[in-house]
Amino acid sequence: MEQPNTDVIQGTLDMLILKALSLEPMHGFGIARRIEQISRGVFKVNSGSLMVAFQRMERGGLLDAEWRQTENARRAKFYRLTAAGKKQLGVETADWARRSAAVARLLRAEA
Amino acid sequence: MTLTSVWRHLVRGVRRLARPAEADQDIADELQHFLDQATEGHVARGLTRDAARRAAQLEVGNLTGVRERVRASLWENAVTTLATDLRYSVRMLRHSPVFTVIVVLVISLGVGAVTTIFSAANALLLTPLHGTSDPARLVGIDRIESRGNGGMQASYPYYTVIRDRTRTLSGVAVWAKTNLTIAADGAGHTVYGNVVSGNYFSVLGVHPALGRFFLPEEDSVPLKYPVVVVSHDFWRVSLGGDSSAIGRMVRVNGTMFTLIGVTPKGFNGVFKPIVTSAWVPLMMQRIVRPPGSILDSSSVSWLWMFGRMKDDASADGVRQDLVAITAERIAEGVEPEWMRHNDGIRLIGLTGLPDDARKVMLEFMGVLFVVAALVLLIAGVNVAAMLSARAVARRHEMAIRVALGAARSRLVGQLLTETLVLFLLGALSGLGLAFVATRMLEHIPLPGGEPLVLELSPDIRVLGFALFVALFTGAVFGLSPALQAARYDINSRLRADSRSGSGRQRIVSNALVVGQLALSLVLLVSAGLLLRALQRGQRVDPQFDMSGVTTSALKSASWGYDDTKSRAFSRTLRERIAALPGVTHVSYANALPLQWDNSNRYIRLDDAPVSARKNDGTTRIRSGIVDVDYFDVLKIPVMAGRVFAKSDDENAPRVAVVNETLARKHWPNGSAVGHTFEFDGKAMTIVGVAHDSKYATLTEETPELAYFAIAQEWPEEQTLMVRTTGAAQPLASAIQSIVRSIDPGLPRPTVVSLKEATSSILLPQRVAAFATGTLGALGLLLATVGLYGIISYSVSRRSREIGVRMALGARASDVQRMVVAGGMRLAGVGVVIGLLLAVGASRLLVAYLYGVSPLDAPTFAATCVLFISVAFLASYLPARRAAAADPLVALRAD
Repeated sequence: MEQPNTDVIQGTLDMLILKALSLEPMHGFGIARRIEQISRGVFKVNSGSLMVAFQRMERGGLLDAEWRQTENARRAKFYRLTAAGKKQLGVETADWARRSAAVARLLRAEA
Repeated sequence: MTLTSVWRHLVRGVRRLARPAEADQDIADELQHFLDQATEGHVARGLTRDAARRAAQLEVGNLTGVRERVRASLWENAVTTLATDLRYSVRMLRHSPVFTVIVVLVISLGVGAVTTIFSAANALLLTPLHGTSDPARLVGIDRIESRGNGGMQASYPYYTVIRDRTRTLSGVAVWAKTNLTIAADGAGHTVYGNVVSGNYFSVLGVHPALGRFFLPEEDSVPLKYPVVVVSHDFWRVSLGGDSSAIGRMVRVNGTMFTLIGVTPKGFNGVFKPIVTSAWVPLMMQRIVRPPGSILDSSSVSWLWMFGRMKDDASADGVRQDLVAITAERIAEGVEPEWMRHNDGIRLIGLTGLPDDARKVMLEFMGVLFVVAALVLLIAGVNVAAMLSARAVARRHEMAIRVALGAARSRLVGQLLTETLVLFLLGALSGLGLAFVATRMLEHIPLPGGEPLVLELSPDIRVLGFALFVALFTGAVFGLSPALQAARYDINSRLRADSRSGSGRQRIVSNALVVGQLALSLVLLVSAGLLLRALQRGQRVDPQFDMSGVTTSALKSASWGYDDTKSRAFSRTLRERIAALPGVTHVSYANALPLQWDNSNRYIRLDDAPVSARKNDGTTRIRSGIVDVDYFDVLKIPVMAGRVFAKSDDENAPRVAVVNETLARKHWPNGSAVGHTFEFDGKAMTIVGVAHDSKYATLTEETPELAYFAIAQEWPEEQTLMVRTTGAAQPLASAIQSIVRSIDPGLPRPTVVSLKEATSSILLPQRVAAFATGTLGALGLLLATVGLYGIISYSVSRRSREIGVRMALGARASDVQRMVVAGGMRLAGVGVVIGLLLAVGASRLLVAYLYGVSPLDAPTFAATCVLFISVAFLASYLPARRAAAADPLVALRAD
């Protein structure tokens, strides 16, 4: 039986994280779940890649992080978009739209 | 990446480094929360708690693995890794001190050898002149024959023309070496000094440590300003280092001079190797550099010229500028005819060595450097072999670490770190060796007694070089063993498998043995050839008799003697020495035999059937100025006519004695005796023909040479030569006391045997033979240790196989034969490759071999025999041990 490929498209993980956080601050598992839900299970985020991305983006100034209580009284690390992060999301979204449209056009033209 | 985010990376990284546990806990907590949430999610979807946890774990993966991944993505991880690797390396090396010490020793010998040579080359050839500013814009200027190799120095009038007309140099200065006797407080010191143009120091960009340098008027009026500048060392040692010394009167070559300045510490003039202690303006030439007054003469070339290029000038532009000025000067017709050949200009870097000496040194250093590099290569191969052996021995350790999750790149990194630590330790002790070796080289006593300054000790450039060499060789020779150690797959390694390693691995270690043998053989053949050359050189017949001759250089001009006084002194000295018991002949000459390399003269042979004449009818010959008894002192036979006689004095017609080569060339069908030639505008009659001998080097092709009578042409320095049948030592002290009894104010002369005085001729061979001999022995030692180590190691790895063979009935002698044959096969291949390389390498040495063939059979044969014996021994001893082992024990070995 062949498993469908659920890897995140290379180079888009940052954008997906930024997008997931654009509504409200979230903890890691929440972000993973949201990406999975919104993509209707097409993308499953590997926890390791996610953590690495958090470290990188936090140091890059795109995210802020703090430990907070969750609604069910557990401690969790919440991430929040910074101003730079919001700007970055805009840039990456526009970039992605441009490129995916181009890919789509190419595929249509061939067919 | 913006600046703030770089800053944040840095701060977070450093914070993590400071509190690693806290940061790790943070990641662990976050992961745990992730896992818990995932579990909750699965429970909510109806799984049991156990199944939910398993599913979540499957999703998240190995927690430790994830943590490692996050950590590895951060830059500070590299720092932590390195620190861990270093700590672990040091611990591993401490665990096997014998291995560590041997490897470090081997590396330090290699690095030490290369660094010593580099250090010497650096000091002699690369370091700019001490104390000068912007030395890159300084150029030495040689006036040369554009066709031929004569010339190089300048006359004073020529210098002034260059100085006044150049458009490309901001300043041109000149200097000449001279002997000075400086007396302060009565005690005389014989030193080397320079007569220099007034702008000498300003062109070099040197500033006085004390007092001042020369003023313009001191550079323009002859003999009016007796002023002297001394070196820092002379001021400190001979004048007590007292700042009130400025303005003091000192006696220089018999005349009172005013001391006006002291050069900065370490400044030694433009000629590096010889200690220079004092500088006197050119205008004082008649007193400090007799004979006569040569400032106005266009025919005496005695000044070394150098200049500072203008900022916008190129070397080529400068050359064209100076060639044009020289052509103008020649066209003006004020120079003697033979000087017109010197129409070319050669610019050389002002590095403290004359161009030709620099070339010789470069070549010589090049050969030594190749030899030293060979030793380093052998050391590297040796270490690689030891590391490979150790890599095999550590297979279990590596297997366990891989099983525990270590990545292969981490293992390679770890092993490389270990190797680099070894090489760094080796480099440090190698630098120590280089320090000691250069210190020893600086204090090698040189024959001839010239006060040499050698500052060879390593500087920062040498330090960098040694570190680079160590790290580079470490990476080259450490990478393969590291990769090898981390190569096998886990399963085959965890099976307690100690049979001989993979075929590939055996090929590597065999290649190392072969390579090592071959390189060492090249080294030893080279050393052998140079030793043979040294032997041969000592046996080359100079065609005169050196034994029983005692010599002393008398620098009468530097004592303030004029021509008359010097002649009178010499006459008295000769008479009193001749009266000593055992003395058979006494003579003077302008220089020692084998030191007549700068003695070109141009003569005009009118009545000879000339074949090799220059356009203007002159012929270039070598010359020597000698006394009546010269040919008896050196036992040079006279083939025709007579030698000089007492009657050939200043008032008699000028005479010459020529050598056979000159006579044969110009008068092939008859005697040269009675013919005349013209030199310096005077007719010279040939009165005799002397047997050919060696004049400048032992390998020279005999040049045409004429001897001139010393009484007719008194030189400024006289070399005394005495033949005695008695012992040399009492004669030497007798000569010294006679000199002082004639004039108590004279410095004590150095008296040595002619053999000692000329032994510097063989110095390059001696140094080369010593260096390559030492390095060759080192190479052989390393190769022996390496060969023995590798063979005995491979035997120990095959102990089970040997046990099986013996259990199946093989005799001890069979096993021995098998092991020895294996070793000898390797040795055979190594020797053959080495011989081929040596044939190539020996061609590079031809210049130093004195006619010994680069394929000298005895050297090659002896080296081969030596190597094969060593290889035999290195395989026989382990073979005997293997054969003596109890098969049962061998079979049980792991």
